[in-house]
Amino acid sequence: MSIIVDPVQESSFEKPDRSQLWYRRLLANQQFLLLLVTIAIFVFFAFNRHVFASAGEFGNNVTNFCTLVLLGVGETYVIATGGIDLSVGSTVSLSGVVGAIAMEHLAMHSELLVLSVGTVVCIGIGILVGVVNSALIHYARLVPFVATLVTWGAGAGMCLVLTGGAPIGQNSGAIALTVPKIWIFSYPALIIIAITFVAGLFLHLSRFGRFTFAVGSNAFAARAVGINVKRQVTSVYVLSGALAGITGMFVYMRLGSGAPTAGTGQELIAIAAVVIGGARLTGGSARLSGTVIAAWMITIVSSGLIFMNVSPNYNQVAVALLIATAATAQALRKSARQSS
Amino acid sequence: MNKESLTSGAPTRTRWTGAKAVVAASLAVSSIALVGLGSASVAGASSSKKITIAFVVGAEADPFFISMNAGAQAEATKLHVDLIWQGNPSQYSPSTQIPVVQQVTTQLASAKPSALVLGPTDPKALEPYVKVAVKKHIPVFNVDSQDASLKNITGFVTGNNAQGGQAAADALAGAMGYTAGKTYNVVVGMTSPTATTNVLRYDGFKAEIAKKYPGIKILAEAYSQSSPTTANTNIQNWLTEYSQSSKTPLNGIFAIDGTNAEGAASALQAGGLACSKTVCGSGHVALVGYDAYSSNVSLLSSGVFAALIAQDPYQEGIDSVFNAYTYLKTGKLPKGVSKTTTLPNVTLLPTSNSTFLAKYTYATA
Repeated sequence: MSIIVDPVQESSFEKPDRSQLWYRRLLANQQFLLLLVTIAIFVFFAFNRHVFASAGEFGNNVTNFCTLVLLGVGETYVIATGGIDLSVGSTVSLSGVVGAIAMEHLAMHSELLVLSVGTVVCIGIGILVGVVNSALIHYARLVPFVATLVTWGAGAGMCLVLTGGAPIGQNSGAIALTVPKIWIFSYPALIIIAITFVAGLFLHLSRFGRFTFAVGSNAFAARAVGINVKRQVTSVYVLSGALAGITGMFVYMRLGSGAPTAGTGQELIAIAAVVIGGARLTGGSARLSGTVIAAWMITIVSSGLIFMNVSPNYNQVAVALLIATAATAQALRKSARQSS
Repeated sequence: MNKESLTSGAPTRTRWTGAKAVVAASLAVSSIALVGLGSASVAGASSSKKITIAFVVGAEADPFFISMNAGAQAEATKLHVDLIWQGNPSQYSPSTQIPVVQQVTTQLASAKPSALVLGPTDPKALEPYVKVAVKKHIPVFNVDSQDASLKNITGFVTGNNAQGGQAAADALAGAMGYTAGKTYNVVVGMTSPTATTNVLRYDGFKAEIAKKYPGIKILAEAYSQSSPTTANTNIQNWLTEYSQSSKTPLNGIFAIDGTNAEGAASALQAGGLACSKTVCGSGHVALVGYDAYSSNVSLLSSGVFAALIAQDPYQEGIDSVFNAYTYLKTGKLPKGVSKTTTLPNVTLLPTSNSTFLAKYTYATA
């Protein structure tokens, strides 16, 4: 892995094959396969329970998808640099809790002001966690896994200290905002989907995105060509934290309160989405479209299993199987490419 | 490529970074352990003649145990005994509780202790440590939950979860306007299929329905795994599957604990199906929840909850300290108190007066 492998470059490199072997290329494309599998899963559930294909259930799934997708987006950036961010789940809880406390103090003011301040506070907490993560990585010289493990634990503990274990606040106005208004989309959901779209363009088309892949592919080479590796890594963790903060605000709105366990376990689901989406955990290669499709897949699998009245323990098994399948597909694809 | 090289800048430093990572990891782990022990309030164990009662509970930051702590502390102050309060902040599990019990019993040995009140997080796993304490002549009491065998236990104070489940069934039937001959569709939001309090409450709920309300059909259970977000997702999906226009419209929800209560209440509000104080009929879904968190109590007042079933952790704290104190002074439990004391769960209604509600609302730190 001595050259910078940017997926965009990768695809342009293979251009000559396109006309003859388009079907082989398509079948070798993990995002495309993922989409096929997701559609198959959807058809299976919809066939078993027709209501699964209703607009109402699509609306539910969009809401659930929105609590996961931004964490996956942030995680995709981080994993593209070869790092990992375990802190996002507790950042969701912590930002929601701190935001809820701030909003409680403003309860007398207009709903718009309250929610705007809440959003700013949530994003601020997320950025703070991101800054602490990168400080631990750069100054305490911790590997990302350990650095974010520290903030994961500290964040979860802070939530309990601040709340005493009980949810904070009761905001029916916020809950009402998460109800689908435009077909299957609520207003906050539209914002989150827009952010996801922009983040995807940014990762794959901007200089910032190219630098991100460069750092993950080979940090020495990246430094040698003049990329400020430290700044790049810091930006990526701050971005991941900020996106977790936005998710924290969204979860607050869903529940109408800041709950200390609102984001528990979400970090692993986000990482699962990135891996299923085809990213390499060692960095340098990731596809945001893959993460997004995988997040949607995980969402409908969870909902579908609830519909079929299957214990959530099987849900974990199902996600584990998806990870194993995705990772195997990736390995097979890699060996196929090397032999051709 | 090597992930560490990202942060170190030179390959020769990689090994150093690895070593530092190990040190940091062990620091992180020990600091997590310290949080578990350090956040507990240790009421000065200075005078050795004074009676010292150690309390070890499950999830110490849970409002339920915070209320219990308040009750125990009030009684301890009244009786002039010292109280040692310990527990893992959030994890209700024997793997985090056992080290705490071990630490407390050794600490007690050096401080010439008096008694241990234990809320075991597992009926079997804590038994060996109870034996150790008894061998050191420390009488052990159970609170809230119990060891599989009460042989080594001097006294046990608990809430009546089965009766609480029955009370929930009665409250839900009342809220749905139950009349014999009609069918009512109900779902149950649980935390896990095995949590003992969940099982006891659910068994009580089902028994009461079988006995008194044959028209109530339990369509499904869903598990939240202690996350209100997951509880919300579960209920949201049920509301779609059993929508008011379907063949099996949902009439009621039993949310078996505080987390499920929170998730169900927000899902009902989002779906526009929540009852209000004045209206709760067709087109609405009646909700009976468990655990009197202050946010749930405020939703009770607005009618979203038709009823909340509350335990009485404050009283459990008081009784446990008083039992231990009396036993240490007289060698017997207080007069009229049997080995197991069962405190009834209370039903809070939107019409309950505010003093009553305030009494049972769980404290926060």
